[in-house]
Amino acid sequence: MSVLRTIGVPILSVLLAVGIGSLILLAGGYDPLKAYAALFQGAFGGPMRKPLDAIGDTLVRSTPLMFTGLAVGFGFRANLFNIGAEGQFILGSLGAAWFGLLFAGLPTIASIPLILIGAALFGAAWAFIPALLKARTGAHEVITTMMFSWIALYLTSWIISGPLAESATNNFQTPMLSSAVWLPTLDKIIPGLPALKYAHAGLLVAIAAAIVVALLLRRTTLGYEVRAVGFNPTAAQNGGISIPLTTIWALCISGALAGMAGASEVLGVTHRMYDQVSAGAGYGFTGIAVALLGRKNPAGIIVAALLFGALSAGSGTMQLFASVPDKIVMIIQALIIFFVGAETIVSWYVKRRQRLALERRGAAHAAE
Amino acid sequence: MLLSDFFTPDLFASAIRIATPLALAAIGGAICERSGVVNIALEGIMLVGAFAGVVITLAMEASKVPFLVDNAVWFGVLAAVLAGTALSAIHAFASVTLRMDQIVSGTALNILALGLTGFLLEVIYGHAGATNSVVHQLQPVFDFPAVQGAGFWSDVWYWIDQLVFSYTPIVYMAIIAAIVGQWAMFRTRWGLRLRALGEHPRAADTVGVRIQRGRYMAVLMSGALAGLGGAYLSLEQNSSFSENMTSGRGFIALAANIFGRWTPIGGYLASLLFGFAEALEIKMQGFRDVFQIPTQFFLMLPYVLTVVVLAGFMGRAVGPAEVGVPYEKE
Amino acid sequence: MPVLELREITKVFPGVRANDRVSLTLERGEIVALLGENGAGKSTLMNVAYGLLSADGGEILVDGAPVRIRSPRDAIALGIGMVHQHFMLVEPLTVTENIILGHEPTRFGVVDRKGARKRVEELSQQYGLKVEPDAVVRDLSVGMQQRVEILKALYQGARILILDEPTAVLTPQEVRELFRVIRSLVDAGLSVVLITHKLDEVMGAADRVVVMRDGRVVGETTPKETDQIGLARMMVGRDVVLRIDKAEAHPTEVVLRVTDLVVKSQRGLESLKGVSLEVRAGEIVGIAGVDGNGQTELVEAIVGLRRANSGKIALKDRDITRASTRKTIEAGVSHVPEDRHRRGLILEFDVAENLILGDHRRMPFARMGITRPGAISITARKRIEDYDIRTPSEYVLAGALSGGNQQKVVLARELGREPELLVAAQPTRGLDVGAIEFVHRRLIAERDSGTAILLVSMELEEVMYLSDRILVMYGGYVVAEFEAGEVDAERIGYYMTGGKPTESAAEPVVASGGAL
Repeated sequence: MSVLRTIGVPILSVLLAVGIGSLILLAGGYDPLKAYAALFQGAFGGPMRKPLDAIGDTLVRSTPLMFTGLAVGFGFRANLFNIGAEGQFILGSLGAAWFGLLFAGLPTIASIPLILIGAALFGAAWAFIPALLKARTGAHEVITTMMFSWIALYLTSWIISGPLAESATNNFQTPMLSSAVWLPTLDKIIPGLPALKYAHAGLLVAIAAAIVVALLLRRTTLGYEVRAVGFNPTAAQNGGISIPLTTIWALCISGALAGMAGASEVLGVTHRMYDQVSAGAGYGFTGIAVALLGRKNPAGIIVAALLFGALSAGSGTMQLFASVPDKIVMIIQALIIFFVGAETIVSWYVKRRQRLALERRGAAHAAE
Repeated sequence: MLLSDFFTPDLFASAIRIATPLALAAIGGAICERSGVVNIALEGIMLVGAFAGVVITLAMEASKVPFLVDNAVWFGVLAAVLAGTALSAIHAFASVTLRMDQIVSGTALNILALGLTGFLLEVIYGHAGATNSVVHQLQPVFDFPAVQGAGFWSDVWYWIDQLVFSYTPIVYMAIIAAIVGQWAMFRTRWGLRLRALGEHPRAADTVGVRIQRGRYMAVLMSGALAGLGGAYLSLEQNSSFSENMTSGRGFIALAANIFGRWTPIGGYLASLLFGFAEALEIKMQGFRDVFQIPTQFFLMLPYVLTVVVLAGFMGRAVGPAEVGVPYEKE
Repeated sequence: MPVLELREITKVFPGVRANDRVSLTLERGEIVALLGENGAGKSTLMNVAYGLLSADGGEILVDGAPVRIRSPRDAIALGIGMVHQHFMLVEPLTVTENIILGHEPTRFGVVDRKGARKRVEELSQQYGLKVEPDAVVRDLSVGMQQRVEILKALYQGARILILDEPTAVLTPQEVRELFRVIRSLVDAGLSVVLITHKLDEVMGAADRVVVMRDGRVVGETTPKETDQIGLARMMVGRDVVLRIDKAEAHPTEVVLRVTDLVVKSQRGLESLKGVSLEVRAGEIVGIAGVDGNGQTELVEAIVGLRRANSGKIALKDRDITRASTRKTIEAGVSHVPEDRHRRGLILEFDVAENLILGDHRRMPFARMGITRPGAISITARKRIEDYDIRTPSEYVLAGALSGGNQQKVVLARELGREPELLVAAQPTRGLDVGAIEFVHRRLIAERDSGTAILLVSMELEEVMYLSDRILVMYGGYVVAEFEAGEVDAERIGYYMTGGKPTESAAEPVVASGGAL
């Protein structure tokens, strides 16, 4: 029954969202079937788009979402809403760009892991102060991490326009990173794989990260404590777990994952960092949708990230071939979040009724 | 450079103007959170309001009916308020009736607003990016003759004219909203019950206050105010709608609300502070040679201030006790 | 004609009859004390009268006419007011604002502040309840807050006032004040129901006493016709239940030594006012007392969930006064908490994960931060067998188990640690007879193996049966100490409800250890 709910609900939410999306398309005078056909082909290939290009595009767009989905999802496990994954993403990008420039001389085998770790640390560091504030003063992490996102935006903007600028005149981006620190494309790593457009090794790192997160949650004491605090802080405290310390760890790990998303983009796609104020990727926010749809579960998050990546990849084709504004994809995303969110009410409600009934049985025994 | 070259009346007037949309959303946020509902969708609501304002204004202007054409922009303002209210109605339903996680709901609505406005932009006008400009923006309310001659009294008049009489309607509306909102929150029956709702809804329930109704009303009011703020952006500050033109103002408004300790006047003053920071930054553009502080640090200021407030350096910023917690009848 | 009559009220919760055909009358100008232990059904009954609960059977009559009370609004409209144990006050608002909430005097929607203040002052004068109309409730003392609650009821036009354990949080002077106020209210024509477990209050203030036990009315009398000992007898009298024999205890060294422990609650009130006690290895020390007299704070301070304000807690030669929960667990203290759902178990974890909570960092369950599922599973299965936990496997979620089995999980975990000291709070709450017997057996076995056990329970029977020594707590102090077998339930009940030592009391029949 619970397995049904775990898979059924996300699927139902997606179907509902797509359905309502069709209604909106119809209202706008578009042909939903044509639109969704174009969307699908844009993501996976068909007459409208070469499969290799489409799948490659889907994978490229999914990769950062896997990381940010894992980031937000990990926070959720500790009952923390890391809405500021965007800011940690930016700091991770910055770290990657900086270390990328710094370590250009090292052999690729060494430099790329070092850069990724550095970027992760940057992301974790950016989550640290909000984590500390939450642990010490109870300041709500939604607001603090959101604020830090904006601070990150402007801080990195200044750094890119100044110390890390490509040149005095071209101060909206960093210099291009040397190809020694580029993440190789997938066809270079996996023998026999044809050239998928842009798809890079970051995907493999993301999948590895998902496995690590899953192991962390299930097989380490830290993971145990994070889950305990997320489910029942009172009982966790009774069992000797420190709620403040666990909160800090959880949020920092979340930040580290978001930071790696940024690094993956820099090392794998853009090969430099752009001033985000104009660019504005939004991976952090989509990561929230991915985490919710993936039910906070690493495997689910990978699948959800692929879905959103596909939506994103397909939207361009949809725009081209069916003349549908690609913004419809955003609308569908929002609806998915809504329906998944609304569902948790059902399960929360059911659980609560069970708990209340149990409590009343116990309480009435001693109640007045 | 003399100080008087820098601290001109238009600097302060500019601050008040920039603060206006922030203040309206912040006041809305104060009312909403006081009732116990977190509304992080203010950003999206403002955006939707901005969009609806322009769409209706353009439609009215194109209608060729004299009454509609002459008052097009006021129809736009009305449309903005209604659109904001409509979007917030979804949030109210999700938060109060469905008892969904209010932050998830708010996030979804923000994304929905972004997508919907972009989508409709293309559908209605055929291209992305921005709409056309409306023909008649909202004009300043007062129009006093310019000052002749120099001298002390004409300087005083200049200051007063700039600081008090040079604004467009919604700017004044924001100030009125702050004053009226403050008074209503602390002097009327509605305000008393509102404050009880967010602090101790069960106590209020026990004496007969209707929780759901009060919360719905508060959320809708915040939507109306944020929508009005959006109208300011697209119909007063600019004369068209461009994608994502709110640029995070809704979130700054949340910060302003916290900074202002969940009161309308506090929210207005906090917005003023943030507005002043931005006005200062703009002014400094013209004084590049003198000041070396990078602009980004000014842009950062509102957010840093908020974190400082939350960290408790300016006293504990504690909101209504039961904010964000759905109310259960036993 | 009685001003309020409750006839044959029945209220059933899943598995429990909280009220079983209870009848109560209240005459005009009377103070009726509703007396009973925890779980007797007093609050349930009054919550029905006030509309917070709906009765499953019976009827309510006000001034002789049957009425339907579906919510507090109805009750207020009928002139029934209630002051709850946990106040319904909005802290940041002022006294006046709290009093008028819901019935504000307005002119076109604007609150008539002057009029409101005037009315509040009038009422204040009339009933001798001095308050500061513009003070913020958060800043007031508990006694003052209670006055605000009473004024609120009066402002709403109450003629019948229900007070639920009003003196639980008051200082002795405030208690005197309160009863003076109650007297003046009654002189002014109100009728009062006083829910309490404190015998001295009953004897001092009430016109009539209704005693409840296990959901039924077991007696009705007046202070003239009885005394505290008689009331205690009515309150705690029990049916006989079969008992297992237990061996005598052989306590050895002192394991837990608490000295002059003072614990303050958040508002600065002292919940524990200076408690000293000792528990030796191989003995069970039971604390008897009605909930709310400091037992919870004592337990929390010992296990590290609450900070002690002064005093000392020592485990053998180790000072654990300031220790966190982690440190106390490491020192050898196990805790069976009184609320297994909130504090004892993580319902979303499976049985195995719950069984290692508290030990999850140590070998054999984890090494260097990595958990060892094999070892966890082996231990889990062993515990499930040892403690006869009825579950298909160790991977079932704890939330799916029955109450009894859940408690067994908690017990298995805490005892499996082989602690020096076990602190067990309400260990058999909500359990069926079979589970209760199991828990009792386990506790005795644990005692016999040399563990020191501190037992806190509201079930007097349980305390009397299991304990080798019995302490009674009342009002934040330990007020009496007995060896098991030297005392009977009535005498303990007497102390539990505020009785003071008497010189010439007729000694009740001494019961032999075990049977009552």
